[in-house]
Amino acid sequence: MLLALPVLLPLLGGVAVFFQKEEKRRNHLAVATVLATALCAVLVCLLPERSLEVLTIDQGLTVAFRSDTVSRLFLLLDCGIWTAAVFFAFPYLRHAGKQSQFLGFFLVTLGILAGLALADSFITLYLFFELMTLLTVPLVIHDGTEGSRRAGVKYMGYSVFGAGLALAGFFLVFPCLASTSFTAGGALDPGAVEEHRTLLLTAYGLMFVGFGCKAGLLPMQSWLTAAHPVAPAPASAVLSGIITKGGVLAILRATYYLFGPELIQGTELQLVLLVLTLLTIFVGSMLAFKEQLLKKRLAYSTVSQVSYVLFGILLLSDDGLRGALLQVVFHAVAKDALFLAAGAIIVATSCTRVEQLVGIGKRMPVTTWCFALASLSLVGIPPLCGFVSKWYLAVGALEDYGALGIWGAAILLLSALLTAGYLLPIVTRGFFPGQDYIAERREVGRSMLVPMLVLAALTLVLGLFPGGVLRWVDGLLPALL
Amino acid sequence: MGVALLIFLVFFPIAMGVAAFPLGRRDKDLRDWFVIAVTGVELAAAGALLLFQGAEAALAEVCGFGLHFQASAFGTLLAIIAAFLWLMTALPSREYFLHAESRNRYYMFYLMTLGALMGVFLSADLYTTFVFFEMMSFTSYVWVVQNETPQAIRAAETYLAVAVIGGLTLLMGLFLLWSLLGTLRLDALYAAAAALPEEKRGLLWAAGLCCLVGFGAKAGMFPLHIWLPKAHPVAPAPASALLSGILTKSGVFGILAVSRLLFPVNVEWSRLVLVLGVVTMLGGAILAVFSIDLKRTLACSSMSQIGFILVGVAMQGLLGEENALAAWGTVLHMMNHSLIKLVLFVAAGVVYLGCHSLDLNEVRGFAGSDKPWLGTVFVVGAASIAGVPGFSGYVSKTLLHESIVEYIHHLEAIGAEATYYRLVEVLFLFAGGLTAAYMTKLCVCLCLDPKKPGHHVPPDPYMNRKTMTSLTIGAAALLIFGLRPEGTMEPIAHFAAETLGAGTHEGVIHYFAWTNLKGALISLAIGAVVYLLLIRRFLMSKDYSGQPVYLNRWPDWADLEDRIYRPVLSALAFWGAAFARTLASVGDAVIRVFRDALHFRAPGVIRPKGDDAFGVYGNDPERNVVTETFAFDLLMAGIGILAVMGYLLL
Repeated sequence: MLLALPVLLPLLGGVAVFFQKEEKRRNHLAVATVLATALCAVLVCLLPERSLEVLTIDQGLTVAFRSDTVSRLFLLLDCGIWTAAVFFAFPYLRHAGKQSQFLGFFLVTLGILAGLALADSFITLYLFFELMTLLTVPLVIHDGTEGSRRAGVKYMGYSVFGAGLALAGFFLVFPCLASTSFTAGGALDPGAVEEHRTLLLTAYGLMFVGFGCKAGLLPMQSWLTAAHPVAPAPASAVLSGIITKGGVLAILRATYYLFGPELIQGTELQLVLLVLTLLTIFVGSMLAFKEQLLKKRLAYSTVSQVSYVLFGILLLSDDGLRGALLQVVFHAVAKDALFLAAGAIIVATSCTRVEQLVGIGKRMPVTTWCFALASLSLVGIPPLCGFVSKWYLAVGALEDYGALGIWGAAILLLSALLTAGYLLPIVTRGFFPGQDYIAERREVGRSMLVPMLVLAALTLVLGLFPGGVLRWVDGLLPALL
Repeated sequence: MGVALLIFLVFFPIAMGVAAFPLGRRDKDLRDWFVIAVTGVELAAAGALLLFQGAEAALAEVCGFGLHFQASAFGTLLAIIAAFLWLMTALPSREYFLHAESRNRYYMFYLMTLGALMGVFLSADLYTTFVFFEMMSFTSYVWVVQNETPQAIRAAETYLAVAVIGGLTLLMGLFLLWSLLGTLRLDALYAAAAALPEEKRGLLWAAGLCCLVGFGAKAGMFPLHIWLPKAHPVAPAPASALLSGILTKSGVFGILAVSRLLFPVNVEWSRLVLVLGVVTMLGGAILAVFSIDLKRTLACSSMSQIGFILVGVAMQGLLGEENALAAWGTVLHMMNHSLIKLVLFVAAGVVYLGCHSLDLNEVRGFAGSDKPWLGTVFVVGAASIAGVPGFSGYVSKTLLHESIVEYIHHLEAIGAEATYYRLVEVLFLFAGGLTAAYMTKLCVCLCLDPKKPGHHVPPDPYMNRKTMTSLTIGAAALLIFGLRPEGTMEPIAHFAAETLGAGTHEGVIHYFAWTNLKGALISLAIGAVVYLLLIRRFLMSKDYSGQPVYLNRWPDWADLEDRIYRPVLSALAFWGAAFARTLASVGDAVIRVFRDALHFRAPGVIRPKGDDAFGVYGNDPERNVVTETFAFDLLMAGIGILAVMGYLLL
């Protein structure tokens, strides 16, 4: 029953918040819900692994939860980021309006994500995946302008189509499954694998591209750069940091828990998909480099950075997977810090374009420091955390992929260079606008600063002492590979 | 104890840097003394490291792989020099920055860079080297941009770009090394590289080249030197002394590690380094001859001296077992150059405080007869770098020169072609001559030329006691080292060169014997000729009142950065973006195609125009009658049914 709590609590809390008219009480309720969920998540992580069967639709189609290591990692990450974002959201929403609507959907999304993390069968995963799409659309179209509505439709169209592709893949693979619940190392029937290898690979390809849509994989990445910038800052932070990771989680489950690495290892499909992820990495960084709208630049950066994870997952090696899982956590922390900082800048100065940010470091020093730390982490500069994940990713690529591995590592570094090119000038021009620059210092309030500071500090702390996360991830590897 | 000392050396300045910031908000005087105290403690600790040679320290799991430190002889020497330079620049900093803005920021990054640099010099594996190398690049960025003038901002941009590009290239090299050799430990690289099978040598070369680019960018090696002549002049003088004197050495440290450990006796590699070294040496010297800015001349001179050091690195690889002279020369020239640049840049800082300019036409005569001490110190530094016998630079340059001569003898003895190396020798002496020429230009300008009419009158005294102490100690070291090389520099060279795997050298070196003096005298003669014929004739003229004028004859367009790097990079960015945009629009393009082909753009039907409630008829009702509304839907449904039937039947 404990497993249902992280899912149900935010759902109920979200509905309650939706109808709560008084601001103070609503905010208290929202915080209480998020913290209670986080508490449940911690409990789930501390207690031994358990599972829960909710209902069986038909034989073989079961909605079930289980708390294995991957679930715990994602569950904790979701709750952590939500805690930071919800505090940030209160003052931001006063600026954006329609608070109860936003907070309601915001909390419900947390429940859906918890369900996604805990899902133990493909049907459960799919159910929550679609719910995640549908329930985040209101967050995207929050301000109700023509542009944001159009972005919302685009978001929904792409996501539903992607999920549909993945479902089609599942239809293909369903007859070959040995067990419907996720099994570390693959749930396929060994006999069927021999018989239907091509079919299974096709199914995998469909699933990868379909779920990849959510993670911003080429060729279906364009919803991401349309939807993230129009959403309010706390929403775009979690959209970029966490919701894209929903796609990553689904691909992770499909690769290691449904199909199993042996099936994919060494096939041409793997090479094609690896190239696809590398192209996405490059395209995202390159377009971010050319983008002038701050939030859109960050969204392009997400396209690139999340594909690092997909690249690592597809490498099917210890180092690659380790790097990928570390990147999931580290990118979420850094990107959320960046989006929150961008939100703070918008609230305090109404600047949305990069060229308006000259001297921002003098106006908002704390915010810009957070932005700087998160940027350096995203570039992969030691001793910040992004460096650690990128090290493992590149080493994993170079291990046994020959020329492709070298190209892979080179593209990772090229993308890092472009990342430096699109993030660091904001910081340097922000802090060093020139001799005669005079600006009024105008920082945002504490409830916006603290979440940012915590996330930015985390990039440094996790970079200096990644041992804990590393051991956690390492405990997972032997079962999967 | 050794472990604690290593950790202390690296992290103490970083922590104190962070502490200096709030301290400076409270009390500026206290902060200034605090900074001096911290660097003093650091110097004492670095000196104490001599007692713990071979000590190792590890911080497991920090930064993922864990950080590893060791006290190697070479690293210890560089660490001591670094701490010494920091103390010597902390002393004049107070006076230099008395009226400057944002000093807190400066001091914070000043101390943090010291810690990062210690991390580089004391690292036991290349991973640790890289971590601190990157940190150093970013913290020292603040020095360059400190003044926030437009030139400083632009130079800092270049500095950062080169640092990031170099750093990432270096990282690529480390990835390759790690995947090839399975270790990055400095003491294991040599054996691992030697044991590498022949077919993987190509990858090792790729890794080595990546590392060379990464470290070379920091060292100021051609063609990655572009940041150096721009960044040093705009930084505050104490910071330029450090940038020039010791930060470039971190790059040399890396190049030495790669050369000595991965390609210890590889002739091709050594030739490559030799060629790069010679080009850097000459390029820097030529730029310095043409420069009419005091600090820019010194910066170009730094680049040139790095070239000399690289020649030494290359000669070590070429000479194999008999590389003792080259190794000693390399070590000593690194040390000497640090000390010399300390003296010269701090003196330049004094000049800048007095004149508020660095243009030779503005500052001429500043250190004339009314400021004998400044003039003396500057001349000592200049003579030392020009390799005048009796000053420290002479010894190290002689050793480097001897190593080239030795290799030529060696080639002749085995009957091989030595023409190219003779050319190297000639160019070496010629570059030495140019050094003498541009330093003469600076000395004459500062000490002998008449003061500019209406010049800025400096306050009295023109430098305070701490600045004077710093200058005097630096200059005294140069003189003592130069006059008594046997008792001072030789033991240092023997001590440090051991880490570089130097061979042994029989017999005593007579530094002041004729054979050794000859090279220096040739250089000085070349210098005199260049000064008299080129600089006085071509680069100087007299104005209407007979005052000397320094002319800037270097064409503005001849700038590697503006001519090549920036255009090439922006072209690459353009084409990259074009490619990326094409790829990124695939998804949307497919949707558009489908929409145009399938979606109901049926003519003759109300086509919404802006508002869904009102509409107009389409313009071309004749076209595509078949797509008209309901009939079209039915048609599509029919096709679908047919397709399903077809699939079921076949």
